Amino acid sequence: MHLSPMPSAIVATELSKTYDVKVRDPGIKGALAALARPRYRQVRAVDNVSFSIERGDAVAFLGPNGAGKTTTLKMLTGLLFPTAGKAQVAGYDPWSGGNPFRQRIAFVLGNKQQLLWDLPPEETFRLNRAIYGVSLADYTTRRAELVELLLLGDLIDKPVRQLSLGERMKCELAAALLHQPEVLFLDEPTLGLDLEAQQTIRTFLGEYRRRHGATILLTSHYMADVTALASRVLIINRGRLLYDGELSELVARIAPIKRIELVLSETVSRARLEEYGTVAHYAPPRATLEVPRETATAASTRLLTDLDVADLSIQDPPIEEVIRIAFGETEQDAEEDTVRTDVQRAPP
Amino acid sequence: MTRFTRAMIVLRAFWQLNWLEELQYRGNFVASLLGTIFWLVMAMLTVSLFFRHTPQLGGWGYWDVVVLLGIFNALAGVVETVLRPGIGHLPTDVRSGALDLVLVRPVDAQFYVSFRRLDVWRLADVMLGLAVSGYAFVQTGRAISAWELLAFAVTFAVAIAVVYAIWVTLMSLAFWFVAVENMAALFDAVFEAARYPVSAYPGALRFLFVYLIPIAWTTTIPASALTGRLNPALATWAAAVGVAALGASRVLWRVALKRYTSAGG
Repeated sequence: MHLSPMPSAIVATELSKTYDVKVRDPGIKGALAALARPRYRQVRAVDNVSFSIERGDAVAFLGPNGAGKTTTLKMLTGLLFPTAGKAQVAGYDPWSGGNPFRQRIAFVLGNKQQLLWDLPPEETFRLNRAIYGVSLADYTTRRAELVELLLLGDLIDKPVRQLSLGERMKCELAAALLHQPEVLFLDEPTLGLDLEAQQTIRTFLGEYRRRHGATILLTSHYMADVTALASRVLIINRGRLLYDGELSELVARIAPIKRIELVLSETVSRARLEEYGTVAHYAPPRATLEVPRETATAASTRLLTDLDVADLSIQDPPIEEVIRIAFGETEQDAEEDTVRTDVQRAPP
Repeated sequence: MTRFTRAMIVLRAFWQLNWLEELQYRGNFVASLLGTIFWLVMAMLTVSLFFRHTPQLGGWGYWDVVVLLGIFNALAGVVETVLRPGIGHLPTDVRSGALDLVLVRPVDAQFYVSFRRLDVWRLADVMLGLAVSGYAFVQTGRAISAWELLAFAVTFAVAIAVVYAIWVTLMSLAFWFVAVENMAALFDAVFEAARYPVSAYPGALRFLFVYLIPIAWTTTIPASALTGRLNPALATWAAAVGVAALGASRVLWRVALKRYTSAGG
């Protein structure tokens, strides 16, 4: 066995989480039936997931909605007990590590906020200083650093309710980092933010990691977050870990494509569009083409000159597409899976 | 740093924040103060209405009942100051998943949830209630011994502990049933019964309030201390009830938290 001088920051060993979900038929009749005789369906949110992350690494956890990313993060932060498996984070067992463990981590959720709504962010910072027992000297230095790196300026003196979503997220991050956690869990940190704020946060996280050697595990369904921050990705779909490796390898594997989304002002046949790339969707006046990354610009120029185009945009394929292309999962697989779990009805 | 000093530092931070927040809403203070004064006057009128027909209510004279009424108001003030904005908010936090953000912090979650918010203006209700009790006590013409004063302080602390334990119990049900906001309304309805000495109720209700929903310990016992009805044995029992209620609610909280699987997982 290879012995490293420092233990890994995060080790997950065969983590699984199964939920019992109440099922009921629609309508009042269904509701009453469920009340009288509840039926449960077992959902495997996380299925036998193992990985480890070294100190100071940044890893992205990718997957569509409901894939099990957040559930895994909640297990690693000690919020959920796993149904099976083990984990170690910052040298602690998340479920028995208690306060010394919590002192070493931070968990930022893009859709939940810890900032106090009616007060300036600075007041939340002060509260966190008390909660995490940060000395005044450390607090002053760290606060100054975070204000500088996140370009907070005078934002921290304005009531939170007056801040934009992007400004709030930046302040959330600052509040979560005042105790200088060793391991940082970020759940969709750029969700719903404008491009500028997304960019600031990406740059910030990279710089912060370099300066303090923090380990970052973030979930996202934006490919851009991943390319900017992580060299390694974990792809999870329907609770199972499909891929653990270099981002570049994954990009090679999906034979890098771009999507061209078109709105046409004239009627163009599907066959005609095939001349420019693979037609992924065809619903006139809209169509979506898939083209190799290198030729995307050229193809767009040709489309614009040849056809009467009302609107055109070039995009990365959505994460669901990446998974489909890289792992050959089809819609049919997904349906079979649903049917199978439906049959496994457990007694309450 | 010990757990206790750490908790005190956090508590002080909560207080500072709440002052800052509440200072923005001074209008609330006047409204709530007027509301409380109106409520107290109405309650005293109702009691004096009773006493037109009877010289005693469950063995208590008019001013004795007003002493109790003041204590009831002070406890209601504690509920409004600390419990309703703190632990009373738990069901919402469970449903929205905001509790997750509390649970990842290095601080006891029950402590955090219970004391994070203090509606400081409502402290006026506590003061006002105690002032009414003090005034009524003077009217009874009794002299108070040091031991009775101590007994009052202890039993009043027990009363707060019992009310707190009831709230923790009711709100912890959120971990099982999610939507339990109406539990607060249920508490208000039942707690109304504590406006009168428990001896004024028929046997079955008395049993209920002493043993099952222990609100008899919240107003009747501290008022007994001020009106010369409390013997040392009963005072000791009261202290035991307070400790037991806190202990039981702590156990329930722990069981509930174990069960917690956060929303939207």
